Amino acid sequence: MSVPLRAQPALDVAALVELRRSSRRRRERAGRALAAIGAGAVLASVLAIPVFLLFELLPSIAVPDGTGERLGVLLSGTFKASVLAVLLAIPVGLAAAVHLVCFSTPLQRSRWRPVLDLLAAIPTVVLGLIALTWLAPWLQSRIATLLVLAAAVLAAVLAGFAVFGQRLRRHPAWRPFVALALGLAAGVAVIAWDPLAGSVEADTPWNAVLVGLALGVTAVPLICTVGADALQQAWDRHVDAAVALGASRWQALRSLVLPAAAPGLAAAALLALGRCAGETMIVLMASGNTPLASADPRDGLRSLSAELALSLPVAERGGALWRMLLIATLLLFVLSFACHLAAARLRARAAS
Amino acid sequence: MMRGAALRRGRIVEHLAAGSSAAGLALCLLLAGGIVLLLVRAGLAPFWPQPVIEYTLRDGRSVLGELMLHRDGALIVRGDEQARPGDGYVRLREAEILAERQPPDAVARVHADGRRSYRLGEAGPDEPDLVGVDRRNALTFAGKLAFFGERLRAYAIGGDRSGDAGQGLLPALAGTLTLVLLMSLIVMPIGVAAAVHLHVYAGRGRIGALVRGAVGSLADVPSIVYGVLGLGLFVHGIGGGIDRWLHADRLPVPTFGTGGLLWAALTLAVLTLPVVVATVEQGLARIPDTQRLGSLALGATRGETLRRLLLPQARPAVLSAWILAVARAVGAVAPLMLVGVVKYAPASPIDAAFPYLHPSRQFTHLGFAVYDQALISPDALVGVPRAYSAALLLVALVLVLNAAAGLVGRRLRDRDRAFPL
Repeated sequence: MSVPLRAQPALDVAALVELRRSSRRRRERAGRALAAIGAGAVLASVLAIPVFLLFELLPSIAVPDGTGERLGVLLSGTFKASVLAVLLAIPVGLAAAVHLVCFSTPLQRSRWRPVLDLLAAIPTVVLGLIALTWLAPWLQSRIATLLVLAAAVLAAVLAGFAVFGQRLRRHPAWRPFVALALGLAAGVAVIAWDPLAGSVEADTPWNAVLVGLALGVTAVPLICTVGADALQQAWDRHVDAAVALGASRWQALRSLVLPAAAPGLAAAALLALGRCAGETMIVLMASGNTPLASADPRDGLRSLSAELALSLPVAERGGALWRMLLIATLLLFVLSFACHLAAARLRARAAS
Repeated sequence: MMRGAALRRGRIVEHLAAGSSAAGLALCLLLAGGIVLLLVRAGLAPFWPQPVIEYTLRDGRSVLGELMLHRDGALIVRGDEQARPGDGYVRLREAEILAERQPPDAVARVHADGRRSYRLGEAGPDEPDLVGVDRRNALTFAGKLAFFGERLRAYAIGGDRSGDAGQGLLPALAGTLTLVLLMSLIVMPIGVAAAVHLHVYAGRGRIGALVRGAVGSLADVPSIVYGVLGLGLFVHGIGGGIDRWLHADRLPVPTFGTGGLLWAALTLAVLTLPVVVATVEQGLARIPDTQRLGSLALGATRGETLRRLLLPQARPAVLSAWILAVARAVGAVAPLMLVGVVKYAPASPIDAAFPYLHPSRQFTHLGFAVYDQALISPDALVGVPRAYSAALLLVALVLVLNAAAGLVGRRLRDRDRAFPL
């Protein structure tokens, strides 16, 4: 395209712009439409789950016989496993978060991050495999040993730090490794000595303790990262004031930072609870899948998610089992959504 | 004096707090390292040549074979398999055993149907179906290493007929990669478009907040729920519809109305959509606003600004979003169990026949191989080590992808630090 030479070049540019205006506008509109289609697809995929479930379930209100009891058993199994897992994971995840925020430098924090990422990235089917084949045979007769193990490791670490703590002040980065060495020594000693082997015998190697331990491994990095975020915010806000008044790190943490971060920490626990409640592979592999409604952690269990994975492929579409499983899915969806919403609320409150 | 005691007590409390919290971090390290080490050990051990042992029993018999398990005062020995693989296990009590030795002339043989047998002395030409013979007790360390490498290679890339490994991991790996690639083709355009809409067009308005909240809540929905959606909506709903419309002649045998590669890819695409949208939007948000405003002030439209200025700069963020989505999809096994993953795919979803990719076919998957070998394998003593091998490959895949995403992200941050605007 050639434009004849004129005295006023600005007019040429204006002509060019005029020429291309309609094509530019068309392109702009097309780009905008494409982006809107993408956003629409996201919204549709969010709505797809509840809309699909309601659409399938609504035509008849009738609930097949026995659905209530069966869902009750599955719900109790889900709760038993996930609550146990979160209870096991909270001390570990919280301690790690406290150490990262209060006793580490930013450099150490960035070095520890990959460890937590690695732990979070391990596929749950692998954790299920390890729980099923490696941990279960050992754990069956040693549930009591587990308690001794935890107590002994904690005692060894506390004793070690009461003695060597002053010397470690100069090398704060060594603390986790010293704790690791102390805890490993105590742990190996307890496992080799095994004082309570066989004192608490579980009927089945695939029990709720096993599931709780394996699920706990998935919950620890989540609790640690979300909790560390909450602690960091509170720490940044309050620590200067506390230190100016002469408080030590521990005093600042206990009296100011922990109370201020409490909603955020509760949100972390809630998120972990939701994650564990929906987790499938670990429960499917390690729980024995026995539909029992018992609160005893030595018994097996069956969860909503495992029931879905096991029964849905064989359920006839539209049949009674199909409907029951869809109700189970709806329960799971509502459960996770409620956990998400409550956690978001709590985090917003912690941030304000 | 009292003040000194209180100070000392305070200092000790401080040390105790530091120590006990460090223990939490230490446990995380122990878990991560322990799991990886356990996988490497248990995943590679089945390929290392186990010695052939001859047990002499008190009643005069002798048993020749490999020690599989030693627990509670009893040994499980894998001896000659007569009719089919897995029928040669012998249980020996420790008290029965008089002596054991590793005869240097022992021969381990593998038959064409996967059976193992053990002989002393000559391998013997008595059976025509032998596919592998080795004298592993006489091997030097280098020889054992070569043996290990050969078996590992055969298991990893398939075509292995020398017994233990069975089908090999190649079909599962190929199925996983095909699935993930197909999923990427679906999720990346949609995810990037949605992120662009959020950043450029929706801004901080009500629709933007709605979509953002939706993306956030999608991320917390359990993966099995997506599996139910995939089965009910994609397989039965859309797949069944396509069948009634296009393949009515073949009904009631379903073509698309059953679990298959396409539906699994769609399900995983919905599953990974939140990761993609969030990561790409973060990448777009990291670009300084001055650049966008400058471009608009020079007369470019929003679309031109986006195409020429924002998207090229957000390319590393798109890459890292893709890697994270793939890492999440590779580890998600539960939804696949509802939408068409199988133990042995009768026909691979990719082959040399036109149109090369068959999206309605069933497929195999590494994560499902772990589950299947560990739980459903008829021979646990062989199945569990195989499950560990598959798990090792799966974890290696996920960790490499995560490390790559981390590297891309770090380069992005470094660049931001180098050119602050």
